[in-house]
Amino acid sequence: MEKEALKLQLKKQIVEFLNLMAVKPEDIKDDEPLFGEGLGLDSIDSIELIVLLNREYGIDIKDPKEGRKVLVDVNTMVDYIEKHRTK
Amino acid sequence: MFYIHQITCISPQQTFSDIDLNILNDVADNKLKVIEPSYEGIPLNILRRMGKAVRIGVGSALPLIKQKPDGIIIGTANGGMEDCIKFLNQIIDYNEGMLAPGNFVQSTTNAVAAQIGLMSRNTGYNITHVHRALAFENAMLDAAMMLHENPSANYLLGGLDEISAYNYNIDYLSGAYKKEKISNKDLFTIDSPGSIAGEGSAMFLVNKFSKNAIAEIEALQTLHTDDIDVVKNQLQLFIEKNNASGKPDLLLSGENGDNRLTDYYTEIENEVAKNISVARFKQMSGEYPTASAYAVWLACMILKDQNIPAHAVKKIGETKKYERIFIYNNYKGTQHSFILVSK
Repeated sequence: MEKEALKLQLKKQIVEFLNLMAVKPEDIKDDEPLFGEGLGLDSIDSIELIVLLNREYGIDIKDPKEGRKVLVDVNTMVDYIEKHRTK
Repeated sequence: MFYIHQITCISPQQTFSDIDLNILNDVADNKLKVIEPSYEGIPLNILRRMGKAVRIGVGSALPLIKQKPDGIIIGTANGGMEDCIKFLNQIIDYNEGMLAPGNFVQSTTNAVAAQIGLMSRNTGYNITHVHRALAFENAMLDAAMMLHENPSANYLLGGLDEISAYNYNIDYLSGAYKKEKISNKDLFTIDSPGSIAGEGSAMFLVNKFSKNAIAEIEALQTLHTDDIDVVKNQLQLFIEKNNASGKPDLLLSGENGDNRLTDYYTEIENEVAKNISVARFKQMSGEYPTASAYAVWLACMILKDQNIPAHAVKKIGETKKYERIFIYNNYKGTQHSFILVSK
């Protein structure tokens, strides 16, 4: 899958998994911070995103430090998915 | 017992904003689902995680918690059952592996009272009663006991339940709902077993002060039995105990269109409503375990407005002045409650 297509797919999955009612996938910027400012996600969302990566891409993140590096924005998540996906 | 000062209700009818009880919204697929407001007081980041039971509970509580009650007392038979089942399904679907926490957070029965407490920063008494179809009645009893101990306090009291796919299917298979599709307008004219499913959330701000109160909860009794003679005997004792200060002038009946339960309601009507008006409410709310909370809300509205919606009237009695309302509700023929509400 091309990188741009993967980004759009991931954005759709983020909106669906986190039930972001007022957000359209195409409105999420690739470099928009997921936590704090930007999308304004919180700690429960971070667990939901780790579950998303596990279920959709077969990626198992067990180290919280690694999670913090991955769950920065859509760009960092897509880079990590491309390198570590098992499905 | 205690006085009711403020009320709110989210239900399948126009009961929350722009209240109009004369309009009877129709049922879809034998399910009377709530009309959900826009929930402007709930931040989107919190709202997106809420299941329906939590949304309607918090949404109906928000206007009342501005009064900073001393505690929160909620009755719900099932709480956020829909989310609970989603979470349990995850356990099976993902082989007890990695589970998303959102559904779990919302799935416990006390999630509603907890969320109301969190949003209003209320650190007082916070409890949820889950006694199936007597959950709201037990919440009322708890409020009465708390107010007995703390006569200057105010409490938020509420009763709510949602229609969840899981519970609907189980209840449908057990015969609780009608097999044929019907309109709620015909609920009392079709002679068949089962009722129609309903849901809703009614909230009350209660205390011991009579000044400016909408209504008083004078008396409450609950019983578990399927023996109609036990219900009649208990009713006679209840009447003897509570009729000293006057007889009721309206029976608000929990009749739900299930012809297997008609005898209970007929007996009660014969006992207490020979010359008084009789009104029904489950064409508005549908049947659900805490529908008695809706009945108490409707009783408050009738006492306040002195008007019974035409679709609710079963019989008009000698007086059209309503000062004392007797509510009889019965769930599946086994859980009964008598509630006396007065002006």
